[in-house]
Amino acid sequence: MAALPSQPSLTAVGDAPGPSKPLAEGSAIDIDDSGWERRARNRSPSARWIGWRLRGLVLAALLGCLAMFVLIRALAQQPVLEQRLTVDDSGVLRLAGPAPQPALAFLVDAGGRAQPIDRLLVVRSARWMVSAADRQRHLQEHDALAAALTSGQVQFIDDRGGRLSIATAPRGAVGLGWVFWLLSTLALLLYLVTMVVAMARPGKRNTLYALMALSQAGNLMFLAVLSAPAIGWGEGFMRWEHDTRTLFDLVTAGALVNVSNLHPRRLPFGTRRAALAWVLLAAVYGVAVVLREPSSWWWIQSALIAAGVAATVQLAWMQKREPHPLAVQLQRFSLLAIGGLLLLTVSVAALGPALDPRGQAPMLGSTMWVVFLTVMLLMLPFLSRTQQLMREFSLVAGVSTVATALDLLFVAVFSLGSFASLTLALFISLAVYAAARQWLLSKLISSKRISTERMFEHVYRMAREVQLQPQSTAEQLRRLMRELFDPIEARVAARRTQRSQVLSDGTHLVVPVPELRASDGGVPGAIVLGFADRGRRMFSEEDARLTDRVVDLISRAVAFDQAVEHGRIEERARIAQDLHDDIGARLLTLMYKSTTPEMEDYVRHTLKDLKTLTRGLAAPNHPLTHAVAEWKADITQRMSDAGCDLTWSFSCDHDFDLSVVQWSALTRVLRELVSNVLAHAQATLLQVEIHLDRGTLTLAVSDDGRGRQPQGWSHGLGLGGVRKRVKQLGGDVVWRENEPCGIVCRVTVPGLASAAWRPL
Amino acid sequence: MTVKVLILEDNPVARAFLCRVVRDSFSDVIAITEAGDLEGARKQIALAGGGSGMHGADPFKLILVDLELPDGNGMDLLAELVHYPATKIVTTLYSDDDHLFPALQRGADGYLLKEDRFEVLVEELQKIVRGQPPLSPAIARRLLTHFRSGNDHDASSSGYGLSSSSFAASKPVPLVEKPLDHERLTPRESEVLTYLSKGFTIKEIANLMGIKWFTVNDHIKSIYKKLNVSSRAEAAVLASKQGLV
Repeated sequence: MAALPSQPSLTAVGDAPGPSKPLAEGSAIDIDDSGWERRARNRSPSARWIGWRLRGLVLAALLGCLAMFVLIRALAQQPVLEQRLTVDDSGVLRLAGPAPQPALAFLVDAGGRAQPIDRLLVVRSARWMVSAADRQRHLQEHDALAAALTSGQVQFIDDRGGRLSIATAPRGAVGLGWVFWLLSTLALLLYLVTMVVAMARPGKRNTLYALMALSQAGNLMFLAVLSAPAIGWGEGFMRWEHDTRTLFDLVTAGALVNVSNLHPRRLPFGTRRAALAWVLLAAVYGVAVVLREPSSWWWIQSALIAAGVAATVQLAWMQKREPHPLAVQLQRFSLLAIGGLLLLTVSVAALGPALDPRGQAPMLGSTMWVVFLTVMLLMLPFLSRTQQLMREFSLVAGVSTVATALDLLFVAVFSLGSFASLTLALFISLAVYAAARQWLLSKLISSKRISTERMFEHVYRMAREVQLQPQSTAEQLRRLMRELFDPIEARVAARRTQRSQVLSDGTHLVVPVPELRASDGGVPGAIVLGFADRGRRMFSEEDARLTDRVVDLISRAVAFDQAVEHGRIEERARIAQDLHDDIGARLLTLMYKSTTPEMEDYVRHTLKDLKTLTRGLAAPNHPLTHAVAEWKADITQRMSDAGCDLTWSFSCDHDFDLSVVQWSALTRVLRELVSNVLAHAQATLLQVEIHLDRGTLTLAVSDDGRGRQPQGWSHGLGLGGVRKRVKQLGGDVVWRENEPCGIVCRVTVPGLASAAWRPL
Repeated sequence: MTVKVLILEDNPVARAFLCRVVRDSFSDVIAITEAGDLEGARKQIALAGGGSGMHGADPFKLILVDLELPDGNGMDLLAELVHYPATKIVTTLYSDDDHLFPALQRGADGYLLKEDRFEVLVEELQKIVRGQPPLSPAIARRLLTHFRSGNDHDASSSGYGLSSSSFAASKPVPLVEKPLDHERLTPRESEVLTYLSKGFTIKEIANLMGIKWFTVNDHIKSIYKKLNVSSRAEAAVLASKQGLV
């Protein structure tokens, strides 16, 4: 059971047209939530197959095998001529054997009458005979032969009047020929696949598919039977063959027209058109079989081709309305099929008895065409599985058409033997395949994938951006997926998925959004892509694997960046600690040992600056509000020590993280300004104002001391440092006289707020 | 009655300085014992009657512990002295909460910053002994987070990244049950802490909340006590988990 397909495409698209429709961007999730996970993950829905389905399948398989055995037995037991008949190049019927053989002109039938015979006795299939008169004769001759075979001996009368008696013997299983086994196995396979598809999810589409497939299986069986080397089938077999095969072909055509209304999308007025098609085809059948019109063959062929064209037109219409990659593929295949049929029809019609005395062309041509159809039908349920399969299949389809044409050409024009022509045709078509594969590929499947370099570029760029803003991961991934697949829709959905999944048989792809930072929180989401390449291509397993690798690559790149950053942070912290502990301790000792208070203050100031520096190195995050609180506490302490009053005013419209540079620069600037006031101003009141407004920071330190004419000051190390720091921040500083006395120093830093900010 | 004081400080100049500070702070007769490293301190404590359990007749009343020691970390000593009936003060060059907060959690009653001036140190020391310990905005913030979550969160979002790795006991297993009621902050205490974290002085807070200066101090004292209790409880849990008890 492992080889059974699980969700063949005809079934899994489901009966509801809604889920496969492309939706407007940003609209609500419409995919069948309840089932997609189950369907997507369940490769072998074994639960489904327990019960009536399994039993039914086993029963069907048994029936098929039984029927096959019965058929083989019947065929084996049929009496055939011990000597083979053949037709020479001029179209005369002779016995097979070393030349010269007498030309056979008459057959003595059961009633003793002489039935005229000709090359038509060797021609197998009545279905592919153009003229109705030929068919009539063909039928008569074969009926006569069949009747004669039952009597145990067949009497022929050659053109000179001599009588030949040829014994008959049962065909035996060996006499069926290898072609029979091949074709019958193929028919059985098709039958089994049909049963699986029909039972996996019974529905209208699958019934139609089953009709098509079973008809072709029937065709195959007929061809198999007819391919037996020795001539001899039951009485009336030929008529039956013609009628039934016509029926099969017309049923296939009708089912095709019907199905192309429904799958992958429903078309309006589909039922009416389908009914019309069925009626017309039934009419043609009546004309051909019941009325026995002389030109019935043309009627049938025209009907088939017309049906194929109608189906193609419907698919094209479907594609135009709502693009669906499956529709495009089916269109291509149906075009190929029609092309083959047309070729076949034309060549059979053109090759008359003069060019093709043995009638091999129709036999071979129809065999190949039926085999081609069978292969298409077999692959149809699996179309979306892999890109590879589809490509190869398309190529095979194309190549086999070429091979058919060549074969017919060789048989008819160059009169090669059937085996030789087949071999040659295959050889040449394989050569064509190998040579033109690349060109054919690009023509058949338009995969406008971006090149590997560009993809890597995208991925690494995305990794950079995601590292800066982890919350934008989903959006970034969406953009990347867009670039890769050019889908009609790409949405962010809140659902969990372990790996990328292909849904609804190739119409949608779900890509998990990686959780790159532990602080992400919330439900890890996924990106849902629909209808690759603007609806021209289907998602396949390879696409899912590709996206998995891309997501993995991004996660790794980000993890690597994080590790590097982490390493850098640790190193900085180590440096900071060493600096702080060793140099700080020495400065402390120096401070204790200083002889004058000024020196002590100077060293203390230096020590504080060192601490600011090292703290900035070690801790990268300094929210503005926290920094302001610390400044306030510190300055309050210093003012109360100095016996000076302090007015503090602070406002900001949003809080944000000061960078290391900003924090340490501002801390030192403030400290320096306050120290300056304490050292020189002899003030009684200090006023500090800090405001953050739309990204611009203003800092104003005013005192009521004795400082005057700041423009005349010579700035020492301290104030020079203030100027340097403010310039580093990208702002400017100015000292002015305060009214009625004192100095006010105003620092303005525009654009202080960085990208990473949070609202207050 | 002599007051026994232990000063643990490896820098001799700083040690002498601290001796002067202590002597200037109190009018009592002080007997200062100096220790230059952890071993010495432990020996002195043992001589004076032992670290825990029986304290002997004459324990230390005041212990100044330097955090930056050559043979270890002052925190370890603090952890050992959790039940010691002395006022334990941490002295350090670091003024950030990542270093100070763990010390407070291990039962320190306050901290002194070595860079401060003599007068400031004297005043701070007196305040701590009086029960008015300082509280910087950063530490106030840490306290708020600590009491809000009810668990020990030493690995903070700000501050030195290295400190959390250097203190082995910094991340004990969180308590399964919620902290007991007396370990939670009252709303007033929360309010005081919030103001402190914004940088307001005690006087300003008293004005803002419309209460007396002493009340604010009482709140701070009780906050410290709660911190001690919850820290002790956690330390006990941790110790029992590590099989030390």
